[in-house]
Amino acid sequence: MNKQLGFYVDAKRCIGCFTCAMACKNQYHQEPGVVWRQVYPLKQDIYPHAERAFYSLACNHCEHPTCLEVCPVDAYTKRDKDGVVVHHQDLCIGCGNCIRSCPFGAPRYNPVLKRAEKCSLCWQRLDAGLDPACVKSCPTSALMLIDLATFDTPDAVQFPPGFPRAPALNPSTRFRQAELPRTVMREDVR
Amino acid sequence: MSQRMTRQDLERILDNAVSRRSFLSGLLAGGAMAALPCGLLRPHPAQAAQVWEGGYQTFRNACPRNCYDTCSIVSYVKDGVLQFVEGAPESTFTRGGLCVKGNSYVRQVYSPDRIKYPMEQQGRGSGRWKRLSWDEAMDKIARKILDIKERDGSLLGLGLTKYSGNFGITNYGVEGMMSSLGYTTRLVGTPCWPAGIDAQNFDMGSMWCNDPEDLPRARYVIVWGANPAWCSVHSMKYLYAAREAGAKLVVIDPVFTQTAAKADEYIQVRAGEDGALGLGMARHILDLGLLDRDWLAAHAQGFEEFAAYLRDTVTLEWASEKSGVPIERIKAIAEEFAGAHPATIWIGYGMQRHVNGGAAVRILDALVAMTGNIGKPGGGARYGHLQTWGFNYHALLQKQPEGSKGWIGTAGPKGEFDVTGSAGKVTYSDRSLNINKTAQMILETSDPPIRMLWVACKNVLSQDFDRRKMLMAFDKLEMVVVADLFFNQTVEQADIVLPVTTPFEDWTVNASYWHYWLSLNEQAIAPLHEAKSDIQIAAALSKRMNELQPGSCTFATELDSKDWMIREFNKGIYDMFGLTSWEDLRNGPRKARLASSASWADGVFGTPSKKYEFHSDLCARNGHDALPRYKDARPPYDKLRLLTPHHKFALHSQFQNLDWMVDFNLTPCVYMHPKTAAARGIAEGDAVRVFNKQGEVRLAARLTADVPADTLLLYEAWYKGLAFNCQELVDDTSSDMGAYKTGAPGVAIHDQFADVART
Amino acid sequence: MIQSMELPLVVFTVLSQLAIGLALMDVLRTTGIWSVSPPALRRQWLVASAVMALGLLVSLTHLGNPLGAPRAITHLSTAWLSREVLLFGLLVILMGATALKGASRPLVWMSASVGLAGLVVQGMVYSPPAFPALNNAVPFALFLITAATLGAAAATWFAPAEGQPVLKTTLVSALCAGLILVLVVPCVWASGGTVMRETAAAYAASPLYWLYAVLGLALPLAVVLRLRRIPSWVPLVILAGAICGRIVFYLDTVHTASNLGGLY
Repeated sequence: MNKQLGFYVDAKRCIGCFTCAMACKNQYHQEPGVVWRQVYPLKQDIYPHAERAFYSLACNHCEHPTCLEVCPVDAYTKRDKDGVVVHHQDLCIGCGNCIRSCPFGAPRYNPVLKRAEKCSLCWQRLDAGLDPACVKSCPTSALMLIDLATFDTPDAVQFPPGFPRAPALNPSTRFRQAELPRTVMREDVR
Repeated sequence: MSQRMTRQDLERILDNAVSRRSFLSGLLAGGAMAALPCGLLRPHPAQAAQVWEGGYQTFRNACPRNCYDTCSIVSYVKDGVLQFVEGAPESTFTRGGLCVKGNSYVRQVYSPDRIKYPMEQQGRGSGRWKRLSWDEAMDKIARKILDIKERDGSLLGLGLTKYSGNFGITNYGVEGMMSSLGYTTRLVGTPCWPAGIDAQNFDMGSMWCNDPEDLPRARYVIVWGANPAWCSVHSMKYLYAAREAGAKLVVIDPVFTQTAAKADEYIQVRAGEDGALGLGMARHILDLGLLDRDWLAAHAQGFEEFAAYLRDTVTLEWASEKSGVPIERIKAIAEEFAGAHPATIWIGYGMQRHVNGGAAVRILDALVAMTGNIGKPGGGARYGHLQTWGFNYHALLQKQPEGSKGWIGTAGPKGEFDVTGSAGKVTYSDRSLNINKTAQMILETSDPPIRMLWVACKNVLSQDFDRRKMLMAFDKLEMVVVADLFFNQTVEQADIVLPVTTPFEDWTVNASYWHYWLSLNEQAIAPLHEAKSDIQIAAALSKRMNELQPGSCTFATELDSKDWMIREFNKGIYDMFGLTSWEDLRNGPRKARLASSASWADGVFGTPSKKYEFHSDLCARNGHDALPRYKDARPPYDKLRLLTPHHKFALHSQFQNLDWMVDFNLTPCVYMHPKTAAARGIAEGDAVRVFNKQGEVRLAARLTADVPADTLLLYEAWYKGLAFNCQELVDDTSSDMGAYKTGAPGVAIHDQFADVART
Repeated sequence: MIQSMELPLVVFTVLSQLAIGLALMDVLRTTGIWSVSPPALRRQWLVASAVMALGLLVSLTHLGNPLGAPRAITHLSTAWLSREVLLFGLLVILMGATALKGASRPLVWMSASVGLAGLVVQGMVYSPPAFPALNNAVPFALFLITAATLGAAAATWFAPAEGQPVLKTTLVSALCAGLILVLVVPCVWASGGTVMRETAAAYAASPLYWLYAVLGLALPLAVVLRLRRIPSWVPLVILAGAICGRIVFYLDTVHTASNLGGLY
């Protein structure tokens, strides 16, 4: 298999601290309201405690990216060398098609430039031998950069509950699910 | 997406009058657009270049906030503009990453909301601000100070309240500035952790925790009333490592926190009854003989008396009834804790924010001590330390002018960072008042009253208790001067505001009260606008004071911040960190060379007996129990308990006001159990008011079983543009301990009560 | 995911579907059921072309950077949107040519065929998997209904009395089909996954959806059945309803990203 970079989202280690989300803002200074990496709390029918388990999601750098396919001006490319899906904002005409079409909501609309934009896996940092900003910043190593060609963590899944199932796109993100502690609640108040 | 900013862009932006829109447009224009007045909104030719281009200049900085982690920062600068920040890779604690707040620093530095120049409010609270030059501002302030001196014959009418907004060592120059003017009134103490500090001082002679990086060596970890997943994110990796090595992680807390979700076991305890739970565990450990008798014989005093108390007074039934924890679990956890070697308890600051907080810490200390876990790597009663704070305090230690008159009475001001020692033989001193009752102090102090208040590194109206009373107190003040970054709730009530620098704009040095790393803080960029650091403000004031009345202020009238940073270093610091010069820190933060990762490893304590004191006469002499006996919780004064802990998105009133943070956290909410809500007809998302004898707060309701049915939970933070302030609901009732070591007792912040109703 | 009404797309799709509907109805004329004088025919097709052109022009305002619009046909290999831009670009030219060349049978049939193909392509553009409720033939069906109802109704402005019966029959059929679709489809959604169910709830709770059902479908149907003809104001009411319905289509169809973290 060719090198395909992606994110490993370890919800077991993740504490939902949003460091990764802000690391991206720190690196790229997006407009207020434009968020490339968001940290989504899992709802209570997936994890029984509200706002205590999370998936940190940006772009999934799919094998068959919808954004790339539906873009009328061919403003996306998928790099051969590592599978990173790069958005070329200078070509973008701001039609919003990628924004509507990506099931994961990765592309966002920049209201000042009036173009789409999204996580491009910090490809310039990658090319300089550095980790993506979000991965570097994670205090618990819950967000990792992986190469699907060599990644073989046994309990990792591609479509955990809470993540849209889109096998045709073949997203490159992998997940480990959050765990629950034994809980001992007070006897004096129920 | 934005292109990187050039220095020219920045200068052009800052010179323009200012909509936020134009600031943003300016940010993006790069070199492509000619400057237009007022920055019209135009479509921009996107230069698709992303920000990361390499070739940055790097600097060493540190986060000086009130946080366990005190991160070592690497700042990336290009053309004199801060582009982004990262964690220093050299520190094993920071390990290359910051937190959600640290990562928003660039936005704090370049926020369009930053106060740019000194301003005077035309009518306190009016929002009508008039720009002053620094000369004008210093002149007004200096004249007021001289006026006070003239009227009262002393400067006791000038008060300072300062605390944890900035823990840079040279920021103690604010206290130094006060001293250099004369004997003044100081709000002393700390709202944060004083009860526990006293408790650990009574038990062991000092507050001194293990190196947190030795947590992976623990076989059993109890995180008790602390939430490191929110408040010390860098410590989480050590907790995980301990678990991976086979340790059990237990979280004991009144609510199911984020840390609880990562534990092996979460135990819900009734808030304020941690002492009862701890005593129940101790009684069981005693009954089963799971003590370290050898250690107790060699290194402790008074244990037999404590054991007798346990046998006579403490039962598991009582402990269970008080704490709400099932007897079976109390026994199981006690046995597991006592059977693991080493075992450790992380005693949280939230745990001691009760009227019986100090007593509770003594009990938890006792649990760790009686099982022989003090002085062991991976063990310990972890609370905090000040081992790495042995600087010169050159900025702090200034002399009063000749002939200054002041307070006749006990020795001068303290605070837990006090390194001046007891004042000894002085005739005069500063007047010390309890910082945790600031409003009350201002209202009732006379002879002379507090006429003028200087506020630095603190956001009084956001963070101090009994807000309603505080507003009344401010009405009494003749002049309020605030040194700050933003027009926050305190600045709203100020007469004069002075713009300060962020850590990136001036030199200082930083230590931590949790880990053992030392960080240099270089000046990475020039100060923005007309901002000055606290010591530069002091110099400016001194200059004007001496022009008006020669000799009225001994503070240097000109100073080089870098020079003053260098002056903080001494041989002790160099030896502790293995430095030949402060310049070594330019290559990265350094860790103290520790004989052992464990505090008290040699078993020689700092108590009068040199032993661990279960029985502490010093404690008794300070008005408490000599033994770690149970102390009653505060009786409720309303229907539900109200907890107001820290939010992960803010550090007190900092960072939440930035628009970057608003992208991830929009509005304040109150969390309650579905039963509590149902009984009041409240549905998820409803607008509600939380109210008690102090005041009320209006916000949205969130329902969760993570909060017990007798409790309301809301987080303290300052949201820009929102009137929300949880201090409307918090009174200034003291915690039991704190006066001994920090000058004033703490506050029972989590012993508040309230009710809630739909609006 | 923050969704908007996408008014430029609302106007573009409704107007272009009106124009296509007119073209489709004119096929009926070429079968000889009625005839129209050449100047009137020319006017009719010029109006249709103008409506199409207006729709295309308005669609430009949807773009953040409209100057780049010509490049939108770059990605024909995979992008339905590129194909739509190309097809509709050709269509407006074709319709103009049909107007100027006397609306001959071949030209009319070509315009209608390309128009029908256009509806299919439009259906593909607006049915990505990111909108589970619409990731099927429903968009195409809705667009076809819009074209048929608007086309049949508006055609009566240009057709003489002989044309009324067949146009009336066409309109009634299309309105009935539309009503069935509008009522049944959300019910089907209501038994689907989370996002489909949320879409059903959003549509049902939307006043604009019911306004579409009434103004765009039920009311015209009742009037036409009662009067046995199509009064000249009916096309305008159908248009108003169609716009309401199209706003709901863009605003209230729930995107999968809005449920991230929840069970699908």
